[in-house]
Amino acid sequence: MDLVTNLTHGFGVALSLQNLGLCFVGCMVGTLIGVLPGVGPVATIAMLLPITFGLPPVGALIMLAGIYYGAQYGGSTTAILVNIPGEATSVVTTLDGHQMAKQGRAGIALGVAAIGSFFAGCVATVFIAALAQPLTKLAQLFGPAEYFSLMVMGLVFSTVLARGSIFKAILMVLLGLLLATVGTDLETGQERMTLGIQQLSDGIDFAPLAMGIFGFSEIVKNLENPEARDVVRNKIGRLLPGWEDIKQCVMPVLRGTFIGGLLGILPGSGAVLGPFASYAVEKKVAKDPSRFGKGAIEGVAGPESANNAGAQTSFIPLLTLGIPPNAVMALMVGAMTIHGIIPGPQVMTKNPDLFWGMIASMWIGNLMLVIINLPMVGMWVKLLKVPYRMMFPAIGIFCCIGIYSINNSSEDVLFTAFFGFVGYVLLKFGFEPAPMLLGFVLGKLMEEKLRQALILSRGSFSTFIERPVSLGLLIMAVLILLLALMPSFSKQREEVFTE
Amino acid sequence: MTDNSTTGSGPGGSLKTYNVSQDLCGGLFLIAVSAFFYWKAYPLPLGSLRAMGPGMLPVTIAVMLAIGGIILVLIGLRNGSARQETWHLRGPFFVLGGVIVFALLIRTAGLAVAGPASMVFASLGSEEFYWKESIIFSICMTIGCILLFKTALQLPIPIFTFF
Amino acid sequence: MRGWEREKKTTMNRTLTAIAALLGLSVAPALAQNYPTKSVTMIVPFAAGGPTDIIARIVNEHMSRVLGQQIVVENVAGAGGTTGITRAAGATPDGYTIMMGHMGTHGAAPALYPNLRYNPATDFAPVGLAAGTPILIVARKNLPPKDLKEFITWAKAQGEKANHAYAGVASVSHITGVLLNSVLGIKPTMIPYTGTGPALNDMISGQVDYMTDQIVNVVAQIQGGNIKAYAIALPERSPALPDVPTTKELGLDYQVSAWNAIFAPKGTPPEAVNKLADALDKALDDQKTKDRLLELGGVVPDKAGRTPAALQKLVETELARWTPVLKGAAGNDKK
Repeated sequence: MDLVTNLTHGFGVALSLQNLGLCFVGCMVGTLIGVLPGVGPVATIAMLLPITFGLPPVGALIMLAGIYYGAQYGGSTTAILVNIPGEATSVVTTLDGHQMAKQGRAGIALGVAAIGSFFAGCVATVFIAALAQPLTKLAQLFGPAEYFSLMVMGLVFSTVLARGSIFKAILMVLLGLLLATVGTDLETGQERMTLGIQQLSDGIDFAPLAMGIFGFSEIVKNLENPEARDVVRNKIGRLLPGWEDIKQCVMPVLRGTFIGGLLGILPGSGAVLGPFASYAVEKKVAKDPSRFGKGAIEGVAGPESANNAGAQTSFIPLLTLGIPPNAVMALMVGAMTIHGIIPGPQVMTKNPDLFWGMIASMWIGNLMLVIINLPMVGMWVKLLKVPYRMMFPAIGIFCCIGIYSINNSSEDVLFTAFFGFVGYVLLKFGFEPAPMLLGFVLGKLMEEKLRQALILSRGSFSTFIERPVSLGLLIMAVLILLLALMPSFSKQREEVFTE
Repeated sequence: MTDNSTTGSGPGGSLKTYNVSQDLCGGLFLIAVSAFFYWKAYPLPLGSLRAMGPGMLPVTIAVMLAIGGIILVLIGLRNGSARQETWHLRGPFFVLGGVIVFALLIRTAGLAVAGPASMVFASLGSEEFYWKESIIFSICMTIGCILLFKTALQLPIPIFTFF
Repeated sequence: MRGWEREKKTTMNRTLTAIAALLGLSVAPALAQNYPTKSVTMIVPFAAGGPTDIIARIVNEHMSRVLGQQIVVENVAGAGGTTGITRAAGATPDGYTIMMGHMGTHGAAPALYPNLRYNPATDFAPVGLAAGTPILIVARKNLPPKDLKEFITWAKAQGEKANHAYAGVASVSHITGVLLNSVLGIKPTMIPYTGTGPALNDMISGQVDYMTDQIVNVVAQIQGGNIKAYAIALPERSPALPDVPTTKELGLDYQVSAWNAIFAPKGTPPEAVNKLADALDKALDDQKTKDRLLELGGVVPDKAGRTPAALQKLVETELARWTPVLKGAAGNDKK
């Protein structure tokens, strides 16, 4: 079979000593920067691009790819340990992952994240190998109207994952959307609500926002309530997941892989939606949804798998079309071009070494990552025993340096402080930051797609309903929202009766 | 049981509260925020549906948020909703202040100064604070960071902006 | 007790900062003679991986070798490139910060951004032209017209019904697109995108009709058969796409190449500028660099076009060319 010969060829390329070494370096660097808050794969890859000049193209790309999905593994670590999402895709992991850490189950959370990611990565790699072309065609069905509807669905997911009041979560989503509008207008280049601040002219950056709203506000909240914090920190349970835990995770991992893998193909924010969708699905199918938000292991397993599957499948538009779906892939395009390979639809046939070699090395990379990450779990868990009065300044300094290093900008650090305060205020008022963050991440793209769809339809809203895929997505969104709201109605009726 | 949607206060500890509804305060906050955004977005051209201007979406969302805030205030005025927790500003002041200290010092004085300064300042936010321990820890941590970020990762962070 | 300890630290900081400033001042003048004595930062005002960034990195490699010091790329993207250029224009003019500007940032920007914080003709010390990327008129695979002539007829008949995609305000695809429309006298509906990638995606899936963009971005798609090209805006056919006719042979007065050039902030010592210009010249003569640029479909300037003076002249001609075309194109004047 063609696939087998191609894969064998690919493994032949990937298993060369140099490529193995480069894969390992990429994974290590990726894990490191994933763990460090602020510094992300985009900045690191951009910095390492010149170094790759001296390397052969396949090797260079293997290393850079390793950095990318390595960072996904690392980002989950900080999400679980200190409630700081390294990337937008790790936001969901903070919800239950950090709660598990607070309950002394950090090791289990980390273990599940690593194993789930490994499984997802392997499966997703098979997706890419076998189904790259058909999946690309699937992505082609998505025009602006479909994207918009998909994102509406994504926002509905984010309200579902609210721990408390869904109404308040919707309000947070709106706030996130509002924050996303700050910056330069797409069409006219006019500055909107930037208050004349130069740094805001391209909008609010994700990292200061996430770090402030999640990381620093969590620190401040913890300082407020020292007794609550210390009681749970002294319980350290098992270091690694036991069979019980793994059994609970099998289905979430499978579902998450599938969901994340499919969504990751869609250029733009497809990969971000994966974990959110997976969390929403897990919460819905769980026998006891109230566990979610308080340390449900499925809430880590599903999204982490979705996360990693999406990271792998987001290579598909790059490898089959040559069109980068996100900033990291755009860098890969740059790397390929500099090495004389023009990315495009013909890469698969003109450069089989590159295509199949990369796919094979993704599989190898996933294996390396799980081997690197699992033993580290013990180390991370020990780290949690550091007295909080020393830990939080340490977290703080890492965040500050990380944020500073993104753009060499101290203004970014100031923004982080501001958002930290905002996050504290939100927590005080009983609002949840996760839906807001998703609203923010999706907001820019949503506005763009909304405007494009309306221009293409010449101002007619019916375009969202006329187009079948878009209609389907909107119906699903409405259904999910209804399903989410219904239990709270019946719960309220129960309350009335019991009182 | 009313919806306890506050995060962070787990078992073993509880915070004092004011006798005001949390939702009421939250709703007022959102109304204020949406008013601010509306005020800023108001002068922007709205455009039409077929050619949406920069103002249309911010204004629409701000209005929706304001309505949501009003509803929240109304919910808050009912009896039985959760009470607003008291504010503890020592924490935010020192922790976030530490971040600000870092931002101000990193370019003017370099990491070697900004690191310890901001860490010590932030540590003051905790009720358990010991001067010697904090200073020593901050300096060690800063040295570690220098090795990690500057030497290992080759990031262009100013260490001493004197030379 | 805490209070005064904190104050002591702040005073100490302030004193140290003052000493630092004095030391810094004394070191600066010595630098010009042995330029460069440390690595040079080149600000690329676009995201890494894009055409300008790639050209910058290709050229930097050889330039670094000539100068004996690394040229490090710093990507500062935003607002069509003007954010990065504004930052670079305000940098210390000691020769250690330079930038890669292009047709948009130094030709079209004043017409599109009324609050632009720099003047392309006067706030810079031009170093030299690096490479140009020719523009192609591309369309979705199934668009009815079979060649440029049919396209022009079709576009004129369609009027507003035609969907013309572009990668956002002040992007190359935007300004060259506006130019094409004004040359042809058509007013299609313009569809904005954030970047070429999404625009190409929608063109491949058939949502939008046509676009004008740099060869680097579209060559692979054309070769792969995902989109089709009507013409290339060059006097001669490009070796990367020998089957695409030129606008010249088809009689269309549309000659555009998205040029990329290196600038330094105003006041950079002339010795530094000359050394940079010389390094650039040598890089463009280097066979390997030239080959890489040509592979992309880029156009390498000839000897006469590489000098700082030639670049200054180019900037001035471009400013004169784009201002009338783009007035009112961004809709900044709609109220």
